[in-house]
Amino acid sequence: MGFSDTLLKHIRRNVTVKVSLLLIPPLLFLAIWFYAPFFIVGLYSFDMINIQREIVFKPSLIHYLRVLSWTGAMKIFLRSLYFAGVTVILCLLIGYPVAYYISFKMKKYKDLFIILFIIPFWVSFLLRTYAMMSILDERSFLNVLLTSLKLIDSPIRIMYTDTAVILVMVYDYLVMMVLPLYANLEKLDKTLLEAAYTLGASPVKTFLKITLPLSMPGIMAGFLLVFIPAVGEFVIPELVGGPNNYMVGNLIYEFFMGARHWWIGSALSMLFIVFILSLVITYVRKMGERGLAF
Amino acid sequence: MSDVFSVELENIVKRFGNVVAVDHVNLKIRENEFFSLLGPSGCGKTTTLRIIAGLEEPDEGVVRIYGEDVTDVPTHKRNIGMVFQHLALFPHMNVFENIAFGLKMRKVQKEEIKKRVKEILEIVKLEGLEYRRVNQLSGGQQQRVALARALVIEPEVLLLDEPLGALDLKIRQHMMVELKNIQRKVKTTFIYVTHDQTEAMTMSDRIAIMKDGKIQQVGTPLEIYYRPSNTFVASFIGEAVNLIEGEVVENGLVDTSLGTIHCAGSLTKGRVAVMVRPEMVEIGDKLYNVDNLFRGTVQSIIFKGSYIEYRVDVEGNTFVIHKHGSAELGRLHHLGDIVEIGWKKNSSIIIPI
Repeated sequence: MGFSDTLLKHIRRNVTVKVSLLLIPPLLFLAIWFYAPFFIVGLYSFDMINIQREIVFKPSLIHYLRVLSWTGAMKIFLRSLYFAGVTVILCLLIGYPVAYYISFKMKKYKDLFIILFIIPFWVSFLLRTYAMMSILDERSFLNVLLTSLKLIDSPIRIMYTDTAVILVMVYDYLVMMVLPLYANLEKLDKTLLEAAYTLGASPVKTFLKITLPLSMPGIMAGFLLVFIPAVGEFVIPELVGGPNNYMVGNLIYEFFMGARHWWIGSALSMLFIVFILSLVITYVRKMGERGLAF
Repeated sequence: MSDVFSVELENIVKRFGNVVAVDHVNLKIRENEFFSLLGPSGCGKTTTLRIIAGLEEPDEGVVRIYGEDVTDVPTHKRNIGMVFQHLALFPHMNVFENIAFGLKMRKVQKEEIKKRVKEILEIVKLEGLEYRRVNQLSGGQQQRVALARALVIEPEVLLLDEPLGALDLKIRQHMMVELKNIQRKVKTTFIYVTHDQTEAMTMSDRIAIMKDGKIQQVGTPLEIYYRPSNTFVASFIGEAVNLIEGEVVENGLVDTSLGTIHCAGSLTKGRVAVMVRPEMVEIGDKLYNVDNLFRGTVQSIIFKGSYIEYRVDVEGNTFVIHKHGSAELGRLHHLGDIVEIGWKKNSSIIIPI
């Protein structure tokens, strides 16, 4: 009785307990709709669910071995990394100057420009991709215009190439790079730059030594927000890519929806998740060591 | 005192929209001088400092550093150092890296950098903290890092923008003495912006008082305190002041609503204000040896530690009187007492209105 009394007292006093009670609904939601399916995918990958959809306690690595020894899958895997890598770099190269310009050089219409930037992203992702297709197509408005103006001899063919996939991915994910960068640059104390100038640093040096290192958390956030969805992308290569532009997402989709081989699909998914997770964790750790994490 | 000017401002004007932040400012600051720009907030003192640094561009006028016109020279090519109000220490660098930054930008050799950082750390008394992160330092220590970072590049002029504002009183008082000592040691011109007259009075060789973008007076702390050039300076400087308006009738004689007041000689004619500092006014039951004598009623008595502040009403005019000395504390006047107050004629100064 004495014990339960003190326990109750402790709970009543301890506010963090109340706060953690608030965490129960979201955790429950995640448990049912995220962790449980994920666990089932795990079971499939270790061959612990048979064709009759029954659980069998005989784990095996057979599906993993098949995926790992299949060079075609590895090629697609590397291609996904390459597409996502190029996408994230292009997003950074385009997004950084945009965020920098809005945050540092604009005085009055900052919010307006950020909203103008966000508005296209209120439109469905699919719709935007279709819109891009109408520009990239051989018989697109752009190609017709350029050929009729005799600026080009024959229409440029972009559709169904690597370029098309990357272009559309950059377009679709750019906002995910700009927003965290902008938020980060906005809270950067501008007197730090003035301090650097008074110490003899030119504007270029100041950017390299002060602004860039201090915007690393923004770059990191943008990197993760673009890279992770980009590497698992399967709609864009499906719509604007050709048969040679398959990404891991398409492969997994094929195994689940096309070939109906959930076991290989699951093994692929697991390998993919583990790989991306370890990549992200190493990246965050490296940055954290330099004191630049979020 | 040196006749070489480290910084000269000629007719500097700076506007922000419709507001004239700096209004035709002329200043000649001497080499190795501790010079303060003092004024209420919004008086244009910080803008003036930023113009010297090159962080603001003046709309009109010329800035010279050691005779050279630097008006169009960008900040990073001016040989200045600056300590910012909120210090602006680089958060991603440790103490050593912060201080070495300016030297690295000047492409100084590694060994030389180490040597000079070590030297400056000794001057600002931060030995052994080289590898601390700046956010692990106390406010006073961060202050010293900011100072060391600006001084290590041996600037021709050091600009300080209210650097002690964020510190608490005790550390601030300590840093004032320290700053003055450091200035003597490094022999550099310090230009110090502050709204705190104690800071300006404690450290400065000369002070410029600013208001509404205009320089009101430039002078030594003594001159500014005892010979203010207008009533704004008179009431801005010092804890309190007694000002009585009147008309000059004869050299040293001013006709006021309280009668004729005997003052120190002055060339000013017409309508003037007579200024008497509170500590120059005597108070007692019976006063002798004073040139101006009035009778009044004690309105308030405040014990301030080393002195007592009386407010005495004389025909509707309130006089503030500071009475120093422990001997006096035994003979306190009381509220409502009729007392005599008075002062010698040299203590009342004629100020033009």
